[in-house]
Amino acid sequence: MTEVAAEDWLAAVEALKADGFDYFDWLGCVDDIGRRDCLRVVLVVRNLSQGAETRMLSCSLPRDEARIDTVHGVFAGAAWHEREVAELFGVEFVGGERRRLLLNPEFEGTPLRKDEVLAARTGMNWPGAKEPGEHDVSPGRRRLVPPGVPDPAVWGDRDASQPTPDPAEVAQSAVGGRPRRRRT
Amino acid sequence: MRWVDWYGDGSLYVLDVALACCALEFDAASSSSPAPLPPLEDRAQLAVIISGTVTDRLAPAVVAIVDGCEQQAGRRPMVISFGACASSGGPYWDSYAVTKGVDQLLGVDAYVPGCPPPPEALSAVLDRVAGRVVS
Amino acid sequence: MSSLEGSHRWIRLIEPACTSCMICVRECPTWCISLDSHAEPVAGLPFGARERTRNVLDRFAIDWSLCMYCGICIEECPYDALEWVGEFTQPGFTSEALVEEMVRPPS
Repeated sequence: MTEVAAEDWLAAVEALKADGFDYFDWLGCVDDIGRRDCLRVVLVVRNLSQGAETRMLSCSLPRDEARIDTVHGVFAGAAWHEREVAELFGVEFVGGERRRLLLNPEFEGTPLRKDEVLAARTGMNWPGAKEPGEHDVSPGRRRLVPPGVPDPAVWGDRDASQPTPDPAEVAQSAVGGRPRRRRT
Repeated sequence: MRWVDWYGDGSLYVLDVALACCALEFDAASSSSPAPLPPLEDRAQLAVIISGTVTDRLAPAVVAIVDGCEQQAGRRPMVISFGACASSGGPYWDSYAVTKGVDQLLGVDAYVPGCPPPPEALSAVLDRVAGRVVS
Repeated sequence: MSSLEGSHRWIRLIEPACTSCMICVRECPTWCISLDSHAEPVAGLPFGARERTRNVLDRFAIDWSLCMYCGICIEECPYDALEWVGEFTQPGFTSEALVEEMVRPPS
């Protein structure tokens, strides 16, 4: 994987295509929150005449101002991949198409950013919150938090007098795994 | 729209709204290929099978298909929710982009559980709703 | 009988084996299992023994409209109280009809 600066992105893609890597495979994005404060746009191209050799380019963009050139002038097929990344991660592709691809027109938010919590499960009563031998969830006990639901100390029903959690903390707290005790 | 003459005798025509994996089970269950709807006898019944996850983006299209069937055929088809996704959102019920069951959009006549249901489950429920089996 | 026989079609509770430990409920990815239980003291203990309780299963239900037939509940149950059954799950004519109550009410 070759890391490229945002201002060199278009030139790097054009250079790869001129070099024989003229099969566009995919363009995607990775939210590096928790490791670096970046969104990393990744592009993969192949040279089909050379045993499908692959080249991967990556460009790190600041999460609060993610802007990069569109490459759909070089590879027309990149347009849909860019539209998907734009609507799901909130990346702006300069010169690119702004139409939504997968999300409803009324949808608000950038759901694949890791600090955007999938809230549906926080609003539902988890059947596993009861302890064995308990008929109803008793309010006083320290409760288990199921996988995929953010820690209530960090998101949702949290104590407002505590300092606002860092987005990286929010992202980390919703990582799946086994049920865990909530921090109190 | 293309319909399967399920029993081969013009008594039941079935349309698959093939949204996701459950559509493959529909293909396995149907014994003939879909074809445009011929002129219907009075006794003919119609069934629309919703096979797969109904995303919020496609929800209006699913409703439009069933309304279009009614217009085309001159009678309201039965709606069968096939599989967990069509019945409740299934494993994707918590998604930001999924409608939690096609019954949020349309009246449903039968729900077939499964992920996916086996082809025999579709045959069995069609036998029931077409009145071929007394349960 | 092959090991795939009856798998991923329908799930049955073996009620005498269930201890209401809640592991299946917690491991289910779609939250389709509901379980109610209560604790009862164990009778007939020897004189001077510490009081012990056991869990009594009141309600065990699976919402088949949510179940994705992954089998995690069957694999995770430490008491082998859940098993695959060969017939496919019955359809329902309402959404509520797909919630199957698996505990027989006390006679």
